[in-house]
Amino acid sequence: MTEALRDKAAIVGIGTSRFGRHLPESQLALAAAAFKAALDDAGLERGDIDSLSIHIGWPLGVDYDQVAQAFGLEIGFVNQAWTHGRFVTGSLQTAAMAVACGMAEVVACVNVLSFTRERDILGGPHDFEGYRETGGTHAETPHYGLTAPAGGAALAMQRYMALYGTTSAELAAVPVALRAHARLNPKAVMQEPMSIADHQASRMVVDPLRLFDCCIVSDGAAVVLVTSAERARDLRQRPVYVAGMQGMKAGRDEFIFAPPGLGINQQSGVRAARPAARDLAVYGWADIPREAIQGLYTYDAFSPLVLFVLERFGFCAPGEAAAWVQDGCIGPGGALPVNTSGGLLSEAHVAGWNSLCEMVRQLRGEAGPRQIADARALQWATAWGDSVILRK
Amino acid sequence: MSGYEKPTPRINPDNARFWESAHEGVLRLPRCKACRAWHWPPGPVCPDCFSDRIGWEEASGHGTVSTWTVVHKDWFPAFKADIPYAVAQIELAEGVCVTANIVDCPADELRVGLPVEVVFDRVTDTLTLPRFRPRRG
Ligand SMILES: [Zn+2]
Repeated sequence: MTEALRDKAAIVGIGTSRFGRHLPESQLALAAAAFKAALDDAGLERGDIDSLSIHIGWPLGVDYDQVAQAFGLEIGFVNQAWTHGRFVTGSLQTAAMAVACGMAEVVACVNVLSFTRERDILGGPHDFEGYRETGGTHAETPHYGLTAPAGGAALAMQRYMALYGTTSAELAAVPVALRAHARLNPKAVMQEPMSIADHQASRMVVDPLRLFDCCIVSDGAAVVLVTSAERARDLRQRPVYVAGMQGMKAGRDEFIFAPPGLGINQQSGVRAARPAARDLAVYGWADIPREAIQGLYTYDAFSPLVLFVLERFGFCAPGEAAAWVQDGCIGPGGALPVNTSGGLLSEAHVAGWNSLCEMVRQLRGEAGPRQIADARALQWATAWGDSVILRK
Repeated sequence: MSGYEKPTPRINPDNARFWESAHEGVLRLPRCKACRAWHWPPGPVCPDCFSDRIGWEEASGHGTVSTWTVVHKDWFPAFKADIPYAVAQIELAEGVCVTANIVDCPADELRVGLPVEVVFDRVTDTLTLPRFRPRRG
């Protein structure tokens, strides 16, 4: 069944606003800049957009009805999910499925986050998600002072360190590699060099996560336009095809910021030696084996998430990721470059859509000094188990 | 609630018994009457056998730290004076994991596997928070 959708949808346009901190523009204004850039990139008109897929709603971002009204669109299909990075993949997947089945013609995935303006939403008194009766969405427990998403990543990394003997200095390899990528990207917010010593000197935020293990808090927008492969062939850019997909996982053995079985929340505490078949379905759908993946792109809000996604998708075995990422393995020119535009840790926090735009640039051969040689197949994948493989 | 600035849990029909019990100084957890499995968080059905017959039973109050963190940042103004403070997930003897503060424990003694026991902290006239401290002896 799944193979029936292989290469049936394509990304045909990408656009971003400027990225920065304390930008004066409203969320809608940032979104408009990215939207216009994406239309121009694709060679499409505003009237060609008939569908919206959004997951960063008001107040951090924008809701579908605001976008349609403000931009004068006539929309006939909408997907809007939680205001969470966890729905990046689902938002893109829904767009791809909608165009592949004929429900939509051209879907605009509109993503904007103004973190600096809406700062008290993140772990502060206005972060209401932690109050959920069955527990916060990242294991927040506000009545005990665990109020921010970073707390959930810290709980997972602390246990990982206890199980495998991983150190903070080893974890540092992740943000250090991403900073090296960012320094090849003039658009990245963070341009200062970062060494392991710099990471070790950065202040402890929520033990064991230091400041440099946490993504930057920034403002910016990214728009990705998705249409059918058939229509894509007539447009301005060489299409980037959605080769394969697999969905988000949930259940008692899952926690958003840990691989299955790590023992966080109600997870079993028993990790499988290798990923389950359903954790690797994306490679079969795409007919592209993991060994052919030339770059990995992931939701790196906190540096442990990079270790967890590598293990989740079997790039290395459980407990081995921290050793695996040493010595530039995921940095520029490494064996598996990760988030080559700098990711959430160093480019900007556009929920990962900045990294999806980078995948498209790489597959078009437009990534300049950070170009992966002859990039043909790149993977978006997250620590919570969903994925999209893009190919040229 | 006057004077208590920190967030309080939202109490609903599924979890009310937990908070009522804690206010009486008892750690009571949901346990399935059909398959006898303990579970957490509280819910309307047993996640093991899907039975609706959920009972509440007194737990031992003993467990071990399954993971922990120390918070150094004042995301939330009401916690600023407490920084740094410890929050842990505790694997209870009954097999479920709960989240709470670890108290009466020097930071360098926090570790995965640390044996702990429940203590009850009456924070308002209507709310008591279970916390955990190292189990001595
Ligand atoms: Zn049961």
